Amino acid sequence: MKRTPQDCPSRLPENTAVKQQQLPACRLQLSATGILSGFFATGVFCLGMGVILILSAKSSMEIEINYTKICASCAKLRENARNFDKECTCSIPFHLTQTMRGNVYMYYKLYGFYQNLHGYLLSRSNSQLLGTDVKDVETCAPFSKSHDGTPIAPCGAIANSLFNGTTKPPSWPKPVYELDENDPGNNGFLNDDFIVWMRTAAFPTFKKLYRRLSRTQHFIEGLPAGNYSFNVSYNFPVTRFQGEKSVVLSTLTWSGGHSLFLGLAYTVTGAMTWLAAFSMMAVHLKLKGKRFSPDDKVKL
Amino acid sequence: MKYIKPFISEIPWKYSWYYSAMSLFESQSENRQSGEPERCLQANNREFNTLFGYPNNTIKTSKYNVLNFLPLNLFEQFQRLANAYFLILLFLQLIPQISSLAWYTTVIPLMVVLSITAVKDAIDDLKRHQNDNQVNNRSVLVLTNGRMKEDKWMNIQVGDIVKVENNQSVTADMLLLSSSEPYSLTYIETAELDGETNLKVKQAISVTSDMENNLKLLSAFDGEVRCESPNNKLDKFAGILTYKGKNYILDHDKLLLRGCVIRNTDWCYGLVIYTGPDTKLMQNCGKSTFKRTHIDHLMNVLVLWIFLFLGSMCFILAVGHGIWENKKGYYFQNFLPWKEYVSSSVVSAILMFWSYFIILNTVVPISLYVSVEIIRLGNSYYINWDRKMFYAPKNTPAQARTTTLNEELGQVKYVFSDKTGTLTQNIMIFKKCSINGTLYGDVYDKNGQRVEVSEKTEKVDFSYNKLADPKFSFYDKTLVEAVKRGDGRVHLFFLSLSLCHTVMSEEKVEGELVYQAQSPDEGALVTAARNFGFAFRSRTSETITVVEMGETKVYQLLAILDFDNVRKRMSVIVRTPEDRVMLFCKGADTIVCQLLHPSCRSLGDVTMEHLDDFAIEGLRTLMVAYRELDNAFFQAWSKKHSEVCLSLEDRENKISNVSEEIEKDLMLLGATAIEDKLQDGVLETIITLNKAKIKMWTLTGDKQETAVNIAYACNIFEDEMDEIFIVEGKDDETIWQELRSARAKMKPESLLESDPVNSYLTMKPKMPFKIPEEVPNGNYGLVINGYSLAYALEGNLELELLRTACMCKAVICCRMTPLQKAQVVELVKRYKKVVTLAIGDGANDVSMIKAAHIGIGISGQEGMQAMLNSDYAFCQFHYLRRLLLVHGRWSYNRMCKFLSYFFYKNFVFTLVHFWYAFFSGFSAQTVYDTWFITFYNLVYTSLPVLGLSLFDQDVNETWSLRFPELYEPGQHNLYFNKKEFIALETTYWTMISHFFIWGSLGFYFCVLFFLYSDGLCLMFPNVFQFLGVARNILKLPQLWLSLVLSVVLCMLPVIGYQFLKPLFWPVSVDKVIDRIHHCMRHPLPPPIRTKVKHASSRRSAYAFSHKQGFGALITSGKTMKGKPKKSSLLKK
Repeated sequence: MKRTPQDCPSRLPENTAVKQQQLPACRLQLSATGILSGFFATGVFCLGMGVILILSAKSSMEIEINYTKICASCAKLRENARNFDKECTCSIPFHLTQTMRGNVYMYYKLYGFYQNLHGYLLSRSNSQLLGTDVKDVETCAPFSKSHDGTPIAPCGAIANSLFNGTTKPPSWPKPVYELDENDPGNNGFLNDDFIVWMRTAAFPTFKKLYRRLSRTQHFIEGLPAGNYSFNVSYNFPVTRFQGEKSVVLSTLTWSGGHSLFLGLAYTVTGAMTWLAAFSMMAVHLKLKGKRFSPDDKVKL
Repeated sequence: MKYIKPFISEIPWKYSWYYSAMSLFESQSENRQSGEPERCLQANNREFNTLFGYPNNTIKTSKYNVLNFLPLNLFEQFQRLANAYFLILLFLQLIPQISSLAWYTTVIPLMVVLSITAVKDAIDDLKRHQNDNQVNNRSVLVLTNGRMKEDKWMNIQVGDIVKVENNQSVTADMLLLSSSEPYSLTYIETAELDGETNLKVKQAISVTSDMENNLKLLSAFDGEVRCESPNNKLDKFAGILTYKGKNYILDHDKLLLRGCVIRNTDWCYGLVIYTGPDTKLMQNCGKSTFKRTHIDHLMNVLVLWIFLFLGSMCFILAVGHGIWENKKGYYFQNFLPWKEYVSSSVVSAILMFWSYFIILNTVVPISLYVSVEIIRLGNSYYINWDRKMFYAPKNTPAQARTTTLNEELGQVKYVFSDKTGTLTQNIMIFKKCSINGTLYGDVYDKNGQRVEVSEKTEKVDFSYNKLADPKFSFYDKTLVEAVKRGDGRVHLFFLSLSLCHTVMSEEKVEGELVYQAQSPDEGALVTAARNFGFAFRSRTSETITVVEMGETKVYQLLAILDFDNVRKRMSVIVRTPEDRVMLFCKGADTIVCQLLHPSCRSLGDVTMEHLDDFAIEGLRTLMVAYRELDNAFFQAWSKKHSEVCLSLEDRENKISNVSEEIEKDLMLLGATAIEDKLQDGVLETIITLNKAKIKMWTLTGDKQETAVNIAYACNIFEDEMDEIFIVEGKDDETIWQELRSARAKMKPESLLESDPVNSYLTMKPKMPFKIPEEVPNGNYGLVINGYSLAYALEGNLELELLRTACMCKAVICCRMTPLQKAQVVELVKRYKKVVTLAIGDGANDVSMIKAAHIGIGISGQEGMQAMLNSDYAFCQFHYLRRLLLVHGRWSYNRMCKFLSYFFYKNFVFTLVHFWYAFFSGFSAQTVYDTWFITFYNLVYTSLPVLGLSLFDQDVNETWSLRFPELYEPGQHNLYFNKKEFIALETTYWTMISHFFIWGSLGFYFCVLFFLYSDGLCLMFPNVFQFLGVARNILKLPQLWLSLVLSVVLCMLPVIGYQFLKPLFWPVSVDKVIDRIHHCMRHPLPPPIRTKVKHASSRRSAYAFSHKQGFGALITSGKTMKGKPKKSSLLKK
């Protein structure tokens, strides 16, 4: 009545590495010396990297000219929307003590301007910008259509706020096809300034490339020291939301601009690692004896 | 549900497709049932029976068909919390005012999860459809129009008469009408119903059994049956058969249940009573109760806390948004005017709350549940696949029947073990005997030194006996010599063993006897007699045929005085061929020696000494005696006996009184000693479990002496123990005293009122509380018997019992009822709040297996009941060590690592958004690309996490077995609790881990380039917005430098912590791991071998494990088959 085991095929599980949990593996086993030397090596690497980065950042030059206060009267004027057709320029003098060698880039920098608001970011039409469907302005609310119902081009909040002050989509002073009348390759949606602006910044404080120094004649070396001034035609009101504006002139190196952050971070990390390594070594040497107490060895 | 499903798991796993029958037809049958207080049917009358609308015999276990699959399956899936949550999120996302993520971030993962589950469900259901079809289309013989016709199972209806032949399954629940065997006995195997493989007997009532296989009579049969409505009670049936104006009472002895198989019976006829979904088998199907683990519970609590955390984060951000809108946003309207529905910053903030609720949803680890299921499933498969837990003799691998408890195996603190069949093999071996004062069974060498029996020892040659069982082995030649010499007492001894029993014999091939014994003890004794030349060959109701030294003799069986627990003995009275009336008796020594004739006193003393020796070796003993009866005396007694047998009142008591009259003045023949063999590796396992600080409690139905003896034999009790307390009081007061005094010895201060536990208890906390661990001043053991336990488990005493028992290293409870076993487990579970494990093999262990957190069934000798109710099943007790220390530990560690990893990755992922909110005007802008969010959990990070939690091994199995101390952290749940998230580390890098981790990383970059590729962006400019971002950004050295720095910053603190932790806060585990590393670096010292100790010299009393036999059946005249083949054999 009992089923004999011989009747049915063997149910012995397969002898495979996976099923028997015998996969060949390397086991991470760090000895004290291993860990400590690892710490020291990482420390050396970080410190070295930090120094290199700091040096390279130091080798670049950057000056920033904040003109929020200098152009305060223009800002006041712009706060009233009715004055949109009145021109307002202000001049910002500055002094360059040292020659800026190499390529010099000119940025505009905004403080407290939120290009990263969710609603702001959504308000654009990629298909319009690509030219596949110029009338596709659905996603652009609230800047999708003008009062008479014609689609705005370029539509959306981002385009609307293009930073050059001049506004056409409701607040642009001239249409998109007049952005750069001198150079047809830089006009319309292909305008560099427009493209740069449409690439939204991740943080409310950001700088965007505006112009490059044309290195001809006596600017071949770079930007020589001396007195300069910017003439700004002020179009872009930021004071209402406590924003600030400035112009940045900077040279670049392989590791980016003048920012010391990465270099400092590396240096600090390296220093901390070394500190940790030394204290760990001290603790290890002091307490090592306790780990293998004699009675433990007897048990072995 | 009206029925609780206590029998659920009695359906064997083979029939798991039945389980899923579930709610569908349950609800149907329930509805109908309410209108069916009683079932009424008439045989051979389909018109009449159709009036009641009984279902036909089709069973439907499948859930879906082609049409309803999609809606039904989706409906079921959305009942799961995780999926429902996703659905709610999806709806939130569809509200444009608060939508902060594209809809596909939720839809894609949801679709993937749903479709995987749906495909799995569909495949399962397809299998069920196939099974249903196969079962429904089996053919069976039905009586139609006076003829037997083959028909499909599904066409059978209530009231049909069906013929079932040998080895066929029963078609539906039916009333047995007649069978080929005498008295219409029918033998059935109920393995599919209750898992028991021994045969059971059913008998038809006489009025129907007379019809035999006469088709005319059968088709004319028009009996009416009234019986109870369908229910799930397997052992109950009540009904009345009305036939020819007379009523006959029907009970479950006359009912053949669907799922049984007919054995040893050529054919039988039955009247179909319950069909299809009404059958008891189907009524017993349903969902089994779900055991949940501590980690499950912890997870739920954590998820709840995380929900609160999420809520407060959203609240903070919403408030932040309100403030920002007031201060900045209002003035920023030149560039981004407020939406028309936003009237003030407050409205905006309220909407923002929900926007962030969507964005931060990933912090709630809802997909956790799915992943946890996968991991547990994987780890269960490891158990099924383990070759080291495969038992070749039975061809049975270990089986994880529940896949949800794995990590709990790594946390067990208390093991409750059955004794018989679990610690012992429940295989009885005739080891020694004492006949007429001479001890047989020891083996001596030439110098007269006692030799330990080993495999090399020469066995006694039984070739002189053609009927000998080749599997039987005996080593002492002197006994055979005595038999051959014709020693009268020895002959009489074996004759009594071959006559005094209730074993049934079967002889399919001549000379090959197969015995069916009720208890293995009895089988061993009859087999021993058979091998020494007194082979019990066959029996009828009046005779017993024995082949005595090659000569067939027929003894007339005059009476059987069967065994019961009070009498502790059994006797047979036979008339020998020489016309002498003899009584043979065997029984527990304490009882039998009181019945001996005074002349046997000296022999009795010698035999008692031998019995002592046997007991020291842990053998189970019986005494054998006989008495020659005067014919007249016997006749007088016999008359009295038969009178008593017919009496209606208090019959059993009267019978036992009458029996005592004849069972006296017995002449002692000798004693037998049977070895109850310990299972392999029990000793080592228990030692290892002890070292792992797992407490071992033995709960057994056996008597105290046997249990204690076995406990010593397998090292549960040690000789070095300071004291063993025995609680055997018979009333509350004594037991209280005994428990208190035991505690006073173990830890005197625990009786003082100042003891923290006492002062805590006097406060009478209302909430379920936990009794802390109390450490005694030594090693103690506790023995308590069932009678005392009944008191001790009541009200005030249970805490005393618990505190005393838990201080002891080992506890033995004997003479337990199954219910008490469960109560003890419950007690510990309730007040200790630790993980308990129950292991057993018999039906009496089922209750405790179900009560404990983890139930383990040993698929051994005693049927399959325990195994079918268990969470894990295997064949040998010693696999427990591997299950707990290797699989359990790994599962626990992996689960903890997994949970930490999972929470870690989700927190890291989500908290970035919280941080970013402060820079983006709390505007619900995400940092990540929506596609990254979509794929993060599903594609980029799922495999490394799974890889870690399926393949990680902190130390390999050799070490975890050699250092059981490593098990301890799990018991205290150290690695994952509310306080700490363990530091994350993959310690075991297999190829698959490498593949998963680097593969996922590689895959990430591939997907990145794909999603940001020109093609896609130009095709769907509004969906894929990051044209050329990947290639531009990856060119920047800053990116790579930041990446390196982040890795360094993430890794170093963890490594440093790992380095310092064992130095400052050494836990025992760290020491062990240190030692393991030390051992690995240096040549392996030989593993510690624990010396196998033999039981100490402790006096024990004698076991008598025996069940009531077939005695009643034999003497009532309903014999085993008296086939002509056999009677012709007899004549030879």
